[in-house]
Amino acid sequence: MRRFLAHRTGTAGAVVLAVAALVALVAPLLIPAEALDVTRVTAPAWQPPGARQWLGTDHTGRSVALLMAQGAGTSLFVGLTAAVLAVGIGTLVGIVSGHFGGLLSGALLRVTDFFLVLPALVLAIALSTVLPRGLGTIVLAIGLTSWPSTARVVRAQTLTIEARPFVERARALGGGHGHVIGRHVLPSVVPLVLVNATLAVASAIVAESTLAFLGLGDPTRISWGAMLHQAQLHGAVPRAAWWFLLPPGLAIVVVVLAFTLVGRALEAVVTPKR
Amino acid sequence: MRVKLGALLAVATTVVLGAPPVAAQQPVILKVAITQQIDSLNPFLAVFQSSTEVGRLMYDYLTAYAADDQAVTEGLARSWESSADKLTWTFTVPEGKKWSDGQPITAHDVAFTYNLMLTDEAARTANGSFVTNFASVTAPDDRTVVIRTKTPQVTMLALDVPIVPRHVWEHVGSVKDHANDRMPVVGSGPFVLTEHVAGQHIKLKANKTYWRGAPKVDELHFVYFQNSDAAVQALGKGEVDLVNRMAPAQFDSLAGKDGVTRNKAQGRRFTELLINPGAQTRTGEPIGDGHPALRDVRVRRAVAQAIDLDALVQRVNLGYAEKGAGLVPPVFTQWHWKPDEAQQRRFDPAAANAALDAAGYPRRADGTRFPLRLIGRAGRAYDEQASEYLKRSMGDIGIPLDVRLVSDNQLNEATTAATYDLAFSGWATNVDPDFVLSLHTCAQRPGADGKGGTTDAYFCDETYDRLYARQLSEFDQGERVRIVHQMQARFHDQVPAVVLAYDNALEAYRSDRFARFTTQPAQGGVIMAQNGVWGYYGAEPLQRAAPAPGSRWPAFAIGAAVLVALVVTALVLARRRRATAGERE
Amino acid sequence: MRLAGRLGGAALSLVMVAVLGFFLFRVVPGDPVVSMTRGRPTTAATQEALRAQFGLDRPVHEQFWSYFTGLLRGELGTSFTFRRPVADVILERLGPTLLLVGTSTLIAVGLGLWLGVRAAWRRNSALDRVTTGVSLTLWAVPTFWLGMLLMMVTGDLFPSRGMRDTDTPPDFLSQALDVGHHLVLPSVTLVAVVCAEYALVMRSSLLEELHAPYLTTARAKGLRDDVVRRRHAVPNAVLPAITLVFLRVGLVVSGAITTETVFSWPGLGLLFYDALTGPDYFLLQGLLVVTAGAVVVMNLLADLLHGVLDPRVKVV
Repeated sequence: MRRFLAHRTGTAGAVVLAVAALVALVAPLLIPAEALDVTRVTAPAWQPPGARQWLGTDHTGRSVALLMAQGAGTSLFVGLTAAVLAVGIGTLVGIVSGHFGGLLSGALLRVTDFFLVLPALVLAIALSTVLPRGLGTIVLAIGLTSWPSTARVVRAQTLTIEARPFVERARALGGGHGHVIGRHVLPSVVPLVLVNATLAVASAIVAESTLAFLGLGDPTRISWGAMLHQAQLHGAVPRAAWWFLLPPGLAIVVVVLAFTLVGRALEAVVTPKR
Repeated sequence: MRVKLGALLAVATTVVLGAPPVAAQQPVILKVAITQQIDSLNPFLAVFQSSTEVGRLMYDYLTAYAADDQAVTEGLARSWESSADKLTWTFTVPEGKKWSDGQPITAHDVAFTYNLMLTDEAARTANGSFVTNFASVTAPDDRTVVIRTKTPQVTMLALDVPIVPRHVWEHVGSVKDHANDRMPVVGSGPFVLTEHVAGQHIKLKANKTYWRGAPKVDELHFVYFQNSDAAVQALGKGEVDLVNRMAPAQFDSLAGKDGVTRNKAQGRRFTELLINPGAQTRTGEPIGDGHPALRDVRVRRAVAQAIDLDALVQRVNLGYAEKGAGLVPPVFTQWHWKPDEAQQRRFDPAAANAALDAAGYPRRADGTRFPLRLIGRAGRAYDEQASEYLKRSMGDIGIPLDVRLVSDNQLNEATTAATYDLAFSGWATNVDPDFVLSLHTCAQRPGADGKGGTTDAYFCDETYDRLYARQLSEFDQGERVRIVHQMQARFHDQVPAVVLAYDNALEAYRSDRFARFTTQPAQGGVIMAQNGVWGYYGAEPLQRAAPAPGSRWPAFAIGAAVLVALVVTALVLARRRRATAGERE
Repeated sequence: MRLAGRLGGAALSLVMVAVLGFFLFRVVPGDPVVSMTRGRPTTAATQEALRAQFGLDRPVHEQFWSYFTGLLRGELGTSFTFRRPVADVILERLGPTLLLVGTSTLIAVGLGLWLGVRAAWRRNSALDRVTTGVSLTLWAVPTFWLGMLLMMVTGDLFPSRGMRDTDTPPDFLSQALDVGHHLVLPSVTLVAVVCAEYALVMRSSLLEELHAPYLTTARAKGLRDDVVRRRHAVPNAVLPAITLVFLRVGLVVSGAITTETVFSWPGLGLLFYDALTGPDYFLLQGLLVVTAGAVVVMNLLADLLHGVLDPRVKVV
């Protein structure tokens, strides 16, 4: 912990994330439903920022500031769950292929390498075209396409650990697969997995915004990516409505950057300096 | 090395500044933005609206629709008559009309085209429905076409089929595989297709020998835009001259813009909300999973009554639409039906609530009656916004609405399998209302295997079908209009769908380059997507048109700067490489 | 026998791409014929004929077999939208994408590697911090958003769409200049995002190399600092970096989809986007197979190239 705090950028990132999480959790409680209901808003559309609407309004007259707050939840949720899914699959595949060896390991390695090479976004687009629209589909599409890097790292770590004398000893003493994996491999893999998960959230948030921008998101939910999709759909660029274009993009950049910085700081803590 | 680079820069600059693109006798070009791909240039296969439009420019039909009132007028045929039993139609193709390669247009070209469609399945892909009732088509001489139909057909003067030149198409082996891209493509329309670059643009040149007279512009370019947002932006910059299919907000954004004139026109489209009335196949087997309550016409009426059509038009269409009622939009004045005082269905949630109570669907303890699903298309601004309104309207009468917005394909899937309660839909109407009316006959429902249907509303009503059959063989115009009105009243009363709005067509053009366009109809009509091509054909360039945006100089200078920068970078890198290599040994 | 292994692996990957493409797009619920004929007066017979034309009426295993043998012959099926062979449609859009991606990759590799070297060499210097910071930020920027932003900021300076104007004189110079003008914004967008990644990759690759004993030796010999860098460190560090760059070719593909969409650049990325709106399943499938296949082949090449260039890696 102290070593993490020593990384100033990492700490800054963590603070940003805490703020974002707070906004995401609190916003739905504080924002009255009718403020984001296009059928009930009274403000004119496309208002530039001013005293009353300090981030202006969108094409339907909703407050961009409120949309931003509301969208934080969806973006973070998709980012986190997709990352958990990806890292979960990655860890499972990594440990299994590292621990068991043989034909299974070879096959899993082959599959991992295959997916590592494929352009993840292309695959995610394909998946979300075929499946019904919704939050679940996006999470699935991103999660299923971004696990291979974790799998690789975890596999390497598993192999390293299992070559250590104390694991050999545990085996000799009659420790089964469950024992070796549970007591020795998993604990040593966890820090790595944590780092990977943090970085995976970052790329999952970018991926969500890209899918939403291409019109493949959940249309009934507000997310930062969906806001940019609306901005494109309703002509924010020709109107030079910068207040509708800048905030969602900046929010994505800041949050993604924060995750990346935290991930890098964690990485530095986990893997000791050579 | 420095010297060399300097010299290169100097040369590049001289080339750029010393050899300007010649400005001598610039042709007048009308540049039109399109947002839809061209699916095919083969008029027998082209299905997309954009391709049909280009097809109309290339090939005339047998008859045309006048610009001012959409009445049937001379196309390739100048005159026509029908036999007393209405089964034989004789069209006369006058002398003097020529294909763009100089060959005369004859009755044999017409007969060849229709017979190709009658004999070749692939040739019926796009316009097959027009010839299904044909018994035979012959050309006894160069000027006369005789068409015999199996049953009387009222749409004989509305055959929207491009006529192709026999001397070109008789050498086409397989219509299915023919791309029709041998430029220039021989045609009969006011413009000749000269270039098509997929995903980029289409160029047409004026047909100087067109029988109505040469168009006033020299070239017509269709420039492909990936969305109307980009197209509107390009119009603002003067990169294109004409844009249509704008969203209301985009149309508003052009208000007061210098050099741009907007055209708000009555469109041919309507938007509707389907209410699954208990879908069945042609054989009467129930299909899909529509909510059983909706089979009760009283419930459907209550749903319709709870929707505030005026609010939808004001807030979602931003006023650029007319409140819906019948199946034919007001632009077709004659066929359009307006409900009278008694038929009018007023927005009245209280009455709707009472009607639902009376129909046997009282509110339960939690205040709801039964839930319904609403399905619409993701990415279509209308569906995304209107669904929010409907959610609220239905909530007010105790019907919680589950909104699902899906891809185009999934929406089609749901409507053809009837797995919806409420769904957004919409159709474009032709000059002759036959098609849009036919959609709601029992025969349009899918076959026993659930396939082969055209309808998405699953309406099947004896009264309506009887009226449909009558109007189809009613050759007295006034009487047919009356029947068509009756059919729409019946449809409105039975509400298998609520016609929400007749969308305005929103267009804009560079009025600093073009003085005027011919609209169809003359009052409040459209420039693009007409039942014809009068808009392009009648485009009048300004005498002293504003120079094409900023001549081309700044653009070329920037392009040149980029190229030079690239070359310089490459040279610098190469030099460094060499230097490194030198140091190595 | 590593070469044979590599080739075999790549071949297996290609087969997997093909299988994935089939199952993702052909075994979907849905009747594409209905979307094709949407909004047109059609008869049941016409629909049946279309179904037969696209082979949709046959059992799945037969469809797979004809799809697979078709692939071996270079056939990718027929596009619903264009009613032409998917292979033809893809081929005619290849040029613009190669131009955009080629230009951007060259610039991005050059700039990225150069920045990475400088940053790693003076670790923790101002340049390093700025480079790393900017790269991390750019890595976090959604490509499409950067494109929209650039478009809004530059206003009328650059065209808003496409690859060329239709009324440019047909001579070569005018055309080239016009294309150059259109190329600026899309390539800047793509370079910005891709270059960041390359800089980070090069930086860490060189950092690993910095501790190698031979560098200490070189310095001890009294060689100038930049000579040590250019003659000793970089040549060794650049190889793994180049390999990684090749591995990230998928990144360029992804970037190209959104960049081409924002700027209506008429290449494969835009075609991908257009195919989505149908969706035109056969076209999507063809695009997936072609892009994924290209990435697999690129990786194989990178692998082999790496073996040839770096004596430490034995290929054969």
